[in-house]
Amino acid sequence: MSGPGGMTGEEPIRRLSMPLSAGDALSLRAGDMVLLDGEITITAGLPTHHRIVEVAEGRREAPRDLREGSLFHLGSYSRETEGGGFEVLYMNPTTSTRFNALMPGLIRHFRLRAVGGKGGLDAACVAALRETGGVYLSFVGGGAPLLSDAIRAVVAVDWNDLVSHYRLVTLRVEGLGPLTVGIDAHGNSLYGSLGETAAARLPAIMDRLARDRAEAEGSA
Amino acid sequence: MPITYDTMKNATARLYEWSLRKVPDDTLDALRRAREVETNEVARKTLGILLRSAEMAETGDRLVCSDSGVPTFVIALGTGVALEGDIKRAVSDGFDELVATTNPPLLKHVTNPLTNERSYRGKEMPLVTWDIVDGADHADITCQPKALGSGRWAAMEIFTFPTLEQIERYVMECVLKAGSQHCPPVNIGVGIGGSFDYCAKLAARATLRRYGTPNPEPILAAMEERLLRAVNATGFGPMGTGGDTTALGVHVEYAAGHGFTPVAVAFNCWINRRTRARLYGDGRLERIE
Repeated sequence: MSGPGGMTGEEPIRRLSMPLSAGDALSLRAGDMVLLDGEITITAGLPTHHRIVEVAEGRREAPRDLREGSLFHLGSYSRETEGGGFEVLYMNPTTSTRFNALMPGLIRHFRLRAVGGKGGLDAACVAALRETGGVYLSFVGGGAPLLSDAIRAVVAVDWNDLVSHYRLVTLRVEGLGPLTVGIDAHGNSLYGSLGETAAARLPAIMDRLARDRAEAEGSA
Repeated sequence: MPITYDTMKNATARLYEWSLRKVPDDTLDALRRAREVETNEVARKTLGILLRSAEMAETGDRLVCSDSGVPTFVIALGTGVALEGDIKRAVSDGFDELVATTNPPLLKHVTNPLTNERSYRGKEMPLVTWDIVDGADHADITCQPKALGSGRWAAMEIFTFPTLEQIERYVMECVLKAGSQHCPPVNIGVGIGGSFDYCAKLAARATLRRYGTPNPEPILAAMEERLLRAVNATGFGPMGTGGDTTALGVHVEYAAGHGFTPVAVAFNCWINRRTRARLYGDGRLERIE
């Protein structure tokens, strides 16, 4: 295997500059695969999201401007270096649905162009992304070596009173991915449609199980 | 010679460290086979990315996932083994020593469920199931770090005299509820019968079975085969972004019980973290996987 994602002989994957432009965000369609270059902001913490909500409500000072940027559900191991800066040893996505209740408000307030993690977000988030022209990007779980190798620099680490993976971390990355557009800015969600499809298929799946059971019992 | 505090401490710590870096061989094989037959292009690519990540972790001695989970062990002591020292304490001390010394450091995932505070230590951590093996002169140790991503989707329900149809419907309900979120393609463990606690253990034990090893009882082997086909007909696919490969295996274990029949369903994510080793009285630690 060679190249990003172990793929050979295929079309190069589209690269996107971060922060994502409004035009780029609108040009993406659910199911597209992309690589990211530029600045991204990440956290895996629910307490962190609560703090960002406080920022949105004017009850807490923002460590930095999140407007029209990205907020990905990625946990990372960060530690202080001797020079007083930070290094990030590895990172990886966490389940985004844990933040379903908070994301529509954050997407709208900060006009987030890109959110992401793994497992997707619910219909209220899809609606918010459609309204603001933002996308949800799916990172592979268990992709720590691949994703961590894309880190080029640690731009900022804030809220260091929290455990490492909860901190608000901004990174400069190069070739981060491949990522799959799980929800696009036009209201299409792979997760929503897959859940509906599976539910619609269930009666047929149960019928098939019944036939298979009858066959197994017949041959026993 | 006895298994000692020191050999048990070292063995459990090493197993945990290995499990974070190596995707089991049966799982790599299953992922490769799935990639060959997968008809969805994004899914095929996603399976390629997962395999690439596994390869990078193994060859570069790196963590596959940043979520190192919490340590769970099954420790089966042979009846021919002598023990020396505090063997139970050795397991928790081994984990303490590991988090203090392992490189790269692990994230704090041990969570106090009453306060949600996270650290490296906690009540009854690591979570150990002790077992006995008749006639053996060694201990068989299995380590299975368990993380939130797949751990949170496990479920159990108590039925009374259920039909196989009811059991299979319940498994499918759990699969639909987890949907795209448990880092598929998953290993699904199903426990049937026993009692409340025993059934949950059966499901967890089922997730430890290697792919390609059906239950020896024909009725369950057939159930495993048809359930795998059913799960993969849902279409959630690798990482839940669509495809034919939602599970790589369904493993069912059962125990006799009363007419109240618990059915438990547990999931392992695609990494299928699992290491096993055999610890002998002379201190030898033989890694099995």
